[in-house]
Amino acid sequence: MFNERKFFLPFIKQNTTNTQKQLLPKLSTVFRFMLYKTNVKSLLVTAAIISWVLLLGNVLLMAESVRQPGAIKLALPYINNLLIIVFILAVFLFQRLSANNLKGIDFSSYLWNLFSKAAIAAYLSIALYFAYKLSTGYARLQSPLLLHIVYQVNFGLLVYFLAKSFYIWRQLLLYHKNKFLQVAWEWFELLLFSTLILTLLNFNYTNYIFLPLFGLFGCYILFLCTNLKWVAYLSFNKKSRSLVLLGAILVSCYIFTKFFQEFSDSQELVIDYSDVGFLMLAMMFVGCYTLAAFLVSLFSLPTSSVFEQKSEDLLNFQRLSQSIQQGQNESQVYNTLFESTIKASDATAAWFEMVRGNNTHVSHLLNINNEQIERIRHLLLAYNIQNIDYINNNLDRNTGFRDLALPWKSLIILPIKSKKHVFGTLYLLRDIEQGFDRETVNVLRTFTSQTILTIENLRLVAESLQNERYKEELKIATQVQESLIPKTFPTDSWFEIATHAVAAKEVGGDFYDFLQLSESRIAIIIGDVSGKGISAAFHMAQMKGIFHGLMQQDMPPSEFMKQANSALSRCLEKTSFITSSLYIIDYRMQGFMFARAGHCHTLYYNAMMEDVFYFQTDGLGLGIVRDKSYNNHVREMYYDYNPGDVMVIYTDGIVEARNAENDEYGEDRLKYMLTQTYHLEAEDIKCAIINDLEDFTGPDNLYDDQTLLVIKFKPVQPKA
Amino acid sequence: MKITQDIKESTVIMTLDGELDASSSVILDEELSDPEIMKYSKILVDCRNLNYISSAGLGVFISHLQRFEDAQIKLIFFNMQDKVRNVFEILGLDLLMTIVTNYEEAITIADE
Repeated sequence: MFNERKFFLPFIKQNTTNTQKQLLPKLSTVFRFMLYKTNVKSLLVTAAIISWVLLLGNVLLMAESVRQPGAIKLALPYINNLLIIVFILAVFLFQRLSANNLKGIDFSSYLWNLFSKAAIAAYLSIALYFAYKLSTGYARLQSPLLLHIVYQVNFGLLVYFLAKSFYIWRQLLLYHKNKFLQVAWEWFELLLFSTLILTLLNFNYTNYIFLPLFGLFGCYILFLCTNLKWVAYLSFNKKSRSLVLLGAILVSCYIFTKFFQEFSDSQELVIDYSDVGFLMLAMMFVGCYTLAAFLVSLFSLPTSSVFEQKSEDLLNFQRLSQSIQQGQNESQVYNTLFESTIKASDATAAWFEMVRGNNTHVSHLLNINNEQIERIRHLLLAYNIQNIDYINNNLDRNTGFRDLALPWKSLIILPIKSKKHVFGTLYLLRDIEQGFDRETVNVLRTFTSQTILTIENLRLVAESLQNERYKEELKIATQVQESLIPKTFPTDSWFEIATHAVAAKEVGGDFYDFLQLSESRIAIIIGDVSGKGISAAFHMAQMKGIFHGLMQQDMPPSEFMKQANSALSRCLEKTSFITSSLYIIDYRMQGFMFARAGHCHTLYYNAMMEDVFYFQTDGLGLGIVRDKSYNNHVREMYYDYNPGDVMVIYTDGIVEARNAENDEYGEDRLKYMLTQTYHLEAEDIKCAIINDLEDFTGPDNLYDDQTLLVIKFKPVQPKA
Repeated sequence: MKITQDIKESTVIMTLDGELDASSSVILDEELSDPEIMKYSKILVDCRNLNYISSAGLGVFISHLQRFEDAQIKLIFFNMQDKVRNVFEILGLDLLMTIVTNYEEAITIADE
């Protein structure tokens, strides 16, 4: 070795410093252009090519000078080390930048990549070497120059192989990495590259001083080689394919190692790359990792089907649970269930019965005909096993099943049902005894419960969509009802009116309306349909129709009630009734006529007597008695009003409003409110009452529709 | 709402306890719709603990009123709280239905 060593000795010190000086600005530009990856890449490629060519030239010159001792020493031996380092660094950095992030878990394609792009180099190099051997053997001539060229080319191929495989292994090694592994790897890379300094300074790494250090480094490599998580994700087929590829890569490692070992300390060569410690260590890592991957793949081959099954189960769970987001329907969910349970249990035959309403039908079939299903079902019916969990792992032991002469030995029944619904039943059959062990049953049950959850969620989603539609419809109903209630009353100088109406739900059963009968007469009606919500709203609309229809004929209030009762008797359902009051105010006569049909008593303030009271009149609600006898139950009243009188008309939602203590607002409080406010304008009286009511009930405490009308009579203005 | 029935010969004494609103009136309707009840000639409704009656509750009584009348079954309310009685009166039901102050009076009227 010492014979060769002299070529690496630092000959000309000046020369090195010069080259370093030339290199430095080059490196700084490299760093400056770090951001421009493509620039850096092309720069690295150029550097690699130039350094390699220069190396080749220098080596050839050296070889020539050795062969012809008399020749002028043109070669610069020490520069070799520098060129080697530049070349190695350029190739490794290029590969480092080219390495993409892992995409997906198709690891076998990475291995193929590694083989086709890197390992093939070894086969090229060996082919090249044999071609050289053959040509020289054939021509019987010694050509040291040609040998040097072959050796130099193989060096290039080795470095390329190491760089490529080094960074592909890095990606796989760091799959599912943690912080610790990341740091460990970074240190490994740093340490490995620092060994290049040894080459630069021309230390002999086989020196005894370095041996323990290299031993430690070897342990480090072995530790890194234990990170082979990606192997677990290979399926059986991919593992076997990977084994072939890994084997081929191992052979590549062997070829390179053997080749460079053969030529180490060779007398024919002026240069020995086996002296470069970096290459040895990199080869050690690549070789070890490939071997580890090979062995792990080989020994995990028998268990890979288990892992494969588990990961497939997991994927199927995902598919089931994500089926809602993917907008799948129920039958697609059942398809997934059917396929995945058959795979999970390795069933030989299966069928699925879907329940729709009261009838069931077989929706999925596998290796079984309807006649066999019918026979099994009859037997199960005889045993009273329907829609329950049932496992029979030895059908032959049961006489009933034995008589059916079925080709299967195990049966499992998995009902798909929630507490409320039965969605279907899944039957799985296997041709072996003890076909459904506990593990399999657990997986199957998880599948069925996930399916139940998915189906229920699907139905909930559908229901909520439906509800959303109903809400939209209700909104329209609210708008329609709003339009049924008059917003403006005829404004006149002789009376003023203020109204308030809120519904407890989207639509309500309270209503009021007016009709101008003649120039001096106006009919005002208020009503309350029993119940709340949609049905009440319909009757309220009906009542409005009746009011407008009948009052066109201008009849007294009692007559109106009689006819309205008769009309409503025919269309109101039995438990519904309507309370109503009708007032016909005649300002020319300064009086009003009214009739009450079960409606709340009218609150009145008489300005002349300065008295607040309720009109206590009899009157039965509409729709309670549905024959002529109703006519005896309605009274009519006439009352002369004075200017300043106030009439408060309301529905029971006002007086029956409750507070937190469950007390009712009551007629007395309403009456008291009017005694305090009668002197105000109608609008202010209304506001005072509503404010007091809200104070009483508290916020958001509306259980019944509330309607309030305040009418205040004013002195007739002298006609201008 | 709690409804209890106490049967004495040809009389059913129905005790209403609580609030008769939209939901509890369904239970009352079921009780009154029971064909069994048509076997008796008197139905006395004890309203001592009836705190509130909604229009739905009234609707149930109204809907059965005609049926009982046709079958000549007497429906008598007694022990009614003023608040509840007021609701009956406003609607005009006091003129259609028999509402008396106490049990003794109810028995007397029922036996007439």
